[in-house]
Amino acid sequence: MNDPFSILVAGVGGQGNLVCGRVIAEATVLQGLRPVVGDTFGASRRGGSVVTHIRIGRQDWGPLIPRGEVDVLLGLEPVEALRAAVRYAGSRTIAIVSRTPMPPSNVLSGEQRYPAIENIEGGLASICKRVHMLDADPVFKQIGSTKVLNSFMLGVLSALEDTPLDPKNLKLALSNIMDSDIDLTAFDEGKTSLL
Amino acid sequence: MRETKHGTIMSGNEAIARGALEAGVGFCASYPGTPSTEIAAILFEVARELDVHVEWSTNEKVAMESAAAASWVGLPALCSMKSLGLNVASDFLLNLNLSGSGKGGLVIIVCDDPRGHSSSNEQDSRFYAKAAQIPLLEPSTYQEAKDVTKEAFRLSQKYEVPILLRSTTRLSHSRGLLQTSRVSTKKKRTGIIQERLYNVPSPHLRHRDLLEKMGKIAAEFEKFPFNIETNVKDMNLLLISSGISSLYAREAVQSYKSSRIGHVNLVSTYPLPRHHITELLQRVDRVLFLEENDPFLEDEIRSLSAEFEDIPYFYGKRTGHIPSYGEMNTDTVLNALSKLTGREMRKSDRSQEEFEDLIFDRPLTFCAGCTHRNFYWAIRTVKKRLGGKLVIAGDIGCYSLGVFYDEAMDTMQAMGSGIGVGSGLGQLQRFGFDSKVVSVAGDSTFFHACLPGLINARHKNADLTFVILDNATTAMTGFQIHPGSSEQKEDLRRVKISNLVEAIEPDFFTTGDATDIRALTNLLHSTVQREGLKVLLLDSVCRLEEVKRKPGYIGSRPVQIDESLCKGEKCKICAADFGCPALSWNSDANLPVILEYACVRCGACVAVCPHNAIKEGE
Repeated sequence: MNDPFSILVAGVGGQGNLVCGRVIAEATVLQGLRPVVGDTFGASRRGGSVVTHIRIGRQDWGPLIPRGEVDVLLGLEPVEALRAAVRYAGSRTIAIVSRTPMPPSNVLSGEQRYPAIENIEGGLASICKRVHMLDADPVFKQIGSTKVLNSFMLGVLSALEDTPLDPKNLKLALSNIMDSDIDLTAFDEGKTSLL
Repeated sequence: MRETKHGTIMSGNEAIARGALEAGVGFCASYPGTPSTEIAAILFEVARELDVHVEWSTNEKVAMESAAAASWVGLPALCSMKSLGLNVASDFLLNLNLSGSGKGGLVIIVCDDPRGHSSSNEQDSRFYAKAAQIPLLEPSTYQEAKDVTKEAFRLSQKYEVPILLRSTTRLSHSRGLLQTSRVSTKKKRTGIIQERLYNVPSPHLRHRDLLEKMGKIAAEFEKFPFNIETNVKDMNLLLISSGISSLYAREAVQSYKSSRIGHVNLVSTYPLPRHHITELLQRVDRVLFLEENDPFLEDEIRSLSAEFEDIPYFYGKRTGHIPSYGEMNTDTVLNALSKLTGREMRKSDRSQEEFEDLIFDRPLTFCAGCTHRNFYWAIRTVKKRLGGKLVIAGDIGCYSLGVFYDEAMDTMQAMGSGIGVGSGLGQLQRFGFDSKVVSVAGDSTFFHACLPGLINARHKNADLTFVILDNATTAMTGFQIHPGSSEQKEDLRRVKISNLVEAIEPDFFTTGDATDIRALTNLLHSTVQREGLKVLLLDSVCRLEEVKRKPGYIGSRPVQIDESLCKGEKCKICAADFGCPALSWNSDANLPVILEYACVRCGACVAVCPHNAIKEGE
């Protein structure tokens, strides 16, 4: 494992970004390692971009990931994933990104255009080592809620190789923090989505 | 706070609160403000169990005065606030320093916000420590945040001076692992009040006494255990850092892999441990300063070195090696190291321009159903009706988001500035100023800082309309209680805004309903056209607070689009201009869509459609 191992969660306010950070931090401690989790949550309830920086290691690392040093980019929204990738990702980054867009008001008004998902994927692919675009819509339909996206994406994260996090610890941390069956179901769906 | 067998995960703010509890804090007064709010909020959670008095005061000055009073009679006291709050409290602080803070101990926490993530400026509050000549401490990790807070109480109790402990956003709002000690269970009792808690008739002698105490504290700082040196034996470059910058400095040094870079993490940053620093500087000829906001340490140490025979080369914000604005991060430190050593660090440098077409801004908006949107929609309509002759002086709160709402707000500075600015503009008619003036404030801001401005406007007969958007909570920072909140705890008594306004006797005073856009627009229009001082108290709703009080609550009547009446792309006022996050646009169908998962069924958009195509009901 790289020490630090760095995970960046990128999304929009209200998508459960902060919960992702909490779950990963707790899983890290269960693993016997030290987490540092940097949140920006001023905009979290008001539709703005939200990123959470997670550093995992044997010491306290800085709460912001240096440029190019993201190991896993966990994208809860396509454009937000690309925005974060441009600033922080690099040739060692594995991106796992939800395909479902959250268009802001200036896109709805026609002032801006939401780009084609293929173009976002292409951008991510040119920056990162590997990109997995994921469709969580069937899981939302099955579960009956879109609020489990973060748990689904944590499940996807747990299936990646070469991370310091044991899938069992991630799931245990999720159940400690969320204590909800639908989140655990979404986690399991995410875990098998890369197969 | 989540305890595990390896330690507890806490944010910097949680760690500060924990440190205060371990030190036996008995009294905490605060006014909420990002990124400081959680400190007092956490103490609230344990207030009853641990017998701590915790209050949200009306503003930071009142908070500091109350906390000092507690310390004067022997209770350990904490006063936490954001950067801008210290401006409000500074008048008292620059007197309290001379009077002394008593035996209880008083620790003032200030959380600065470099980059202004949640602030209207990026001020460096450390200068208040220098202005007041009081000790300044800057923890750099979660463990230090807790331990240094405890140490701050010890110092304050020993020397009877207030201690300023400074954090910044990235320490306050990030989390890490730390080891806790036991919370103090010492019985808290007050003693008698100390004598001579005033500075007259000889403030200069009080000043002399304070300087004497500061000399003793400086001597303690020479051996301060939190000022940690790394690799200073055989160095050719020394990094001096404080606060969260110390973590970035350490990370940069480790990834730079040079054995000749030394580092000192300075936690006691005022007064400087002069001998300690002098001794370090004599061993090196180049020094790089790493700190958030202004070159505070850099200037202090530059000034100290004027006494040296051999002055090292200093690098930092003064030399452009570190940017003078914005936040610090590891890349900034690495860039400075590259400049100084001539050794480039490998960085995959993807230019933003390559992807610019794909990435758009994501402006902040009012929440779905927020009545502040209704107000700005209405005021924008009134402004159009008046041919643009309307100036809106805004204030600090959720409704500050009005700056993102078209041109619905003209000014926005400090807490209470809306009414103060309005009071000035409202007296300029004889010089030819011919716009109508509207000042805006929220309910918590009204209590915090609006009364002097409103009284001034009354006394001087200013011509303006003061609109109070009263949602009965401090919404921006997470629903803290304030004197006007509709639901009060049992030992608190509500102070009604309407009673205060009536006492000031405006020329016109009425209340209105911010959920009804049509009525609100007409009320605003008729009110601003009246002469004199007008006050409108608008009954407003915070939907987040509503959901908190009534979980799962939404209105009963779903909002629907009547496709036969909608004019589609040709109109699009609802989606393009009104800007509710629950109202989206379906480009394929050329129609608006109500997003059921986000809609709170407030029905505000019904009034926005000029073709009556938005309807309520099954």
